[in-house]
Amino acid sequence: MPKHKKQHRTGQRAQPPSGPGREAWPSRIESLLARGKSRDAVEAAKHYLKHTPGPEAEALAVKAYAARIEALQASGLHREAQAIGALVCERFPAHQGQVAVLMRQSEVAAGNFDALLVELATADTPRRRELEAVLARGLTDPAVLAESPVLPADHPLKRMARAVSDAFSAVTTGPLPAGALASLGAIPRHSLLAPWKLLIRAMDAFYRHDDAAVLANLSGIPADSGPARLVPVLRRLVGENGLPAERSPAVTALIEHVSGHRTVARTQLSQLSQALAAHDERKALAAVQALLPLFRAAPIALRRTFLISVLHHWHRQGLSPERLLRLLPSVKHDPDMLRLTALTLERGEWDTALAMWDGYLTAATATGLLSTTGPEMARVLLHMANLFPADPEAVLETLEVDSEQQLRRLIRTGQLPACFDRAALLERVRVADSVPQVYRALVAHYDQWGDPKRAEAEAEAWRRAHPQDLEPLLYLIRVAERRGAIRKALALLADAEALGRVHPEVRQSRFRLLLAGAERRIKEGKPALALDDLEQLAHEPRASEGDYPAYLLALRWIAVQQRGDTAVAAPLEQALTATAANPVLQGLILEALGTSLKVQVPPLSAAAATPGQVIDGLARACALFRALDRPLTVPAALLKRAEQHLDSASAAQLHALCTGGLWMGRPSLAYQAAGRGLALSDPLAYRFLLARGQALSASRAVDGEERARACLRVARELASRARDMDAVRAASAALDNLPEWAMFNALLTGMLSPPTETALTQAEIAHIIEHERQSRRTPQFPATSTPRKRRRSKPRRHRLPRELFEDIFAFFPFED
Amino acid sequence: MDPFAVLGLEETADDEAVRAAYMRALRASPPDRDPEGFRRIREAYEALRDTESRLALRLFGPPPLANLEELLDAFPEERRYVGPGPWLNVLREPRR
Repeated sequence: MPKHKKQHRTGQRAQPPSGPGREAWPSRIESLLARGKSRDAVEAAKHYLKHTPGPEAEALAVKAYAARIEALQASGLHREAQAIGALVCERFPAHQGQVAVLMRQSEVAAGNFDALLVELATADTPRRRELEAVLARGLTDPAVLAESPVLPADHPLKRMARAVSDAFSAVTTGPLPAGALASLGAIPRHSLLAPWKLLIRAMDAFYRHDDAAVLANLSGIPADSGPARLVPVLRRLVGENGLPAERSPAVTALIEHVSGHRTVARTQLSQLSQALAAHDERKALAAVQALLPLFRAAPIALRRTFLISVLHHWHRQGLSPERLLRLLPSVKHDPDMLRLTALTLERGEWDTALAMWDGYLTAATATGLLSTTGPEMARVLLHMANLFPADPEAVLETLEVDSEQQLRRLIRTGQLPACFDRAALLERVRVADSVPQVYRALVAHYDQWGDPKRAEAEAEAWRRAHPQDLEPLLYLIRVAERRGAIRKALALLADAEALGRVHPEVRQSRFRLLLAGAERRIKEGKPALALDDLEQLAHEPRASEGDYPAYLLALRWIAVQQRGDTAVAAPLEQALTATAANPVLQGLILEALGTSLKVQVPPLSAAAATPGQVIDGLARACALFRALDRPLTVPAALLKRAEQHLDSASAAQLHALCTGGLWMGRPSLAYQAAGRGLALSDPLAYRFLLARGQALSASRAVDGEERARACLRVARELASRARDMDAVRAASAALDNLPEWAMFNALLTGMLSPPTETALTQAEIAHIIEHERQSRRTPQFPATSTPRKRRRSKPRRHRLPRELFEDIFAFFPFED
Repeated sequence: MDPFAVLGLEETADDEAVRAAYMRALRASPPDRDPEGFRRIREAYEALRDTESRLALRLFGPPPLANLEELLDAFPEERRYVGPGPWLNVLREPRR
């Protein structure tokens, strides 16, 4: 509302009283004063005085004017207050004394102390106290008193003010020598300069880093005294709260001058954290804007840490990065900014991050930061290739294409960036630096994308490029073995042995191949040759490890039986019984061999076995057949008995049953063994959680996926703490294969960005473990193992437009 | 925070320089007397100890801080003498 209208309305409210009811005006004026409406009270009092002149009306008018003067003073309008005061003194001389004190206050506030000091020199005690109170409130610089021409040189107030002024200058200018503040001791506690004494002592303590003394001295400064405005500032400087968020320019400047950037940084970083936690983008942007100048002058490493941390937390809170990126300092195609942004985005949006990395490579090579070949380029390209999800379906889904062919076509026609061709990226790595990692990645890539011939060809290329590497040979041996090309596998094995005969993988390959050879002889009905192979195998160091001797004895017994040599078969059977030392294990070995070699063996009879033998035999069979990469079939009755007696199993047996259950496609066994393992409080509990999570992900339980995700996250976290990287990788792989319902839920709840995964707290970990310990009921599992589920179609997520970054960098003036 | 700064090294430092700076820093902050300082030195050394680590830091670093307020460590605690002027300016400022 315009001011003139407001005044008019106010005047209307205070119309002169007329007729009956005039006697009610004093109380009305008092009421206006009580409500702080001094302007209306003055208008009403003026009219009351006009129509009912007399001492009562005069006193009421002076009271209203005094209230108005105080209100103006409170608003800092001291000149206006002084003008009204002069008017009142002139019109109501009898009430001059009542207004004079207020007048002095305005004079002091306006910087005019002389009139007050003149009056102070001759005032009686009550008046002197009033004036001193005014002076104590209005004095904002002790030098005013110390240099006042009105006070005589030997006036005690002037002498004390001089001491205070000197001490104030000294304490703010440099370290004080001992006893420098001794002169302040002469200032009595009731003096109007006593708050200044406390302030100076607080400042001295501040520079001596005695923060307790700072706070103690500040607590003695009256809130209405002149130096009180420095109290919250000093409190803030020693790390206390209480200073309003919105500060005056003088306070901001003082804090920056005294504390460097630390106090500002502390406040803004705290505000930024709070704003991010509250998803308040406006406040977070304001805090970043305030922090930018502080970090602009910082060393490059610190600046990078600041930028990556802000980007990371911004992204983690699901805030849209566009406005933040527009705010951040940048130059066109700044490789560092592209790199930091890519690093941030790759945690959630691999495709956008990939495009950013591609932009980084272009910018970095253009500016000479990276050369087009060499280990650095290879490292970045390999990193980019590793951003792709392991599951090809997930890649196609994210890129919204139906097939690999369509993906290639879109890349060829320029509708998708070339960096989305993973194989081409890996080829670029090979050109930049043909390190073994690139061959490993290429072999794995073609295996994942269902091109075994190409994978084998890459393994051959790897072998040629790095002839001293065992890894391609081991890969090729396994491929040949799976194809049944045992001769080729043995030839490759000879090459591998020439490189490292004692390498455990080579020894394992040799053992497996010799075993496969012997098994093939039995299948071909050549028991004598099989026995020769087994004889050779018996000299292998591995032949005496674990339950391999029992397996070899079983094979030998079958070969002897095939030859019809009953005289030798009987002691062999006895030896097998003694070596296996468990009828269940012996039965499982013979039954598995009988099935795979198509020979008759005595049926497994586990009915007479004790529960301990069932658990032990099954656990050992799982470990043995897994190590040999041979199929194991367990009769349902035996499995049921094992599941019923898991309470008697040791931690090692439970581990074997967990992994064996998953390997055999018996998730219910793995689920139950894992539950029992969790109850044991084993230090490797994360392995049981991993197995439970893997089993649950195959279950039909309503909450199966949710529980699986929880178990796998805890398993990954605990395995990471125990530095068990195999378990970390297994948990991550299992998590990757879970359907991304969180994304779907995000769409249902209207969230544009997918929810972010926060780190698990210790309490959450304990809760999940306890929940799984208590969950004893086995969920339903599909009767037969189903092929891997195709990923469900995900809702389109909010993506950063790739052009955005071009726009952002163009938006800023060039600095380079 | 910045491993180069912790060990007082240039970004071009080689293995030998990193090792020498590490040993120097260790003498200044032995683990028994300054465990926190030793932890920082050790972390910095691990981040820079070989070409591969330095390359990783250059291409994929620095890691983001878990807590933004850790950035405050970069600003040393200062209490500068600025004379009476800035202090008196606060007192003289008109009340709002």
